Amino acid sequence: MQEKLPKMLAALLLAGTLAVASTGPAVAQSKPPEGGSMSMPKVGDMAPDFTLKYFDGNDLKDVSLSQYRGKKNVVVAFFIFAFTGG
Amino acid sequence: MKAFQQNLQRLEAADTQVLGVSMDSAFSDKAFADQIGVTFPLLSDWGGEVTRQYGIYVDKYKAARRVNFLIGKDGKILEEQVDKDAIDPTRIVDTCERPKLKN
Repeated sequence: MQEKLPKMLAALLLAGTLAVASTGPAVAQSKPPEGGSMSMPKVGDMAPDFTLKYFDGNDLKDVSLSQYRGKKNVVVAFFIFAFTGG
Repeated sequence: MKAFQQNLQRLEAADTQVLGVSMDSAFSDKAFADQIGVTFPLLSDWGGEVTRQYGIYVDKYKAARRVNFLIGKDGKILEEQVDKDAIDPTRIVDTCERPKLKN
């Protein structure tokens, strides 16, 4: 019996190593995808409505996307900061 | 923004309203518009709610990506231009001038 003990320990260690190795990839796969914030709407999607303000030189005025519905196409041009090119 | 200003007559003739959006205050947007001669509204998305809603907020820069959306009269997105492609709006102007969009 005493001679078998080291063999049993070795078998247990091997089993443990295999268990860790086999769970490794599964953990990696369950990681969330990169950059998981809201994604851009696609061509053909309804554009999310918004109401934003702009300053016309005298007053702050509200502009909403929905006010152009059925009347005009709208270009919404997001730019990074004022005083940059483009 | 200047590129849209240069094409504004064509866009307006094609029934298209241009709106710029940034995360600056409405007042710095106005100063910017005056400096570069932009006459269409530059809207202030202070806090970035709309920028996030459109999925173009970049955490790293605490700002929006440069993206142009062309939205039709039915409220659906017709064209998108992202980052470098968004500097030249020719494709959007051409799309607006397609006869079916004029009606």
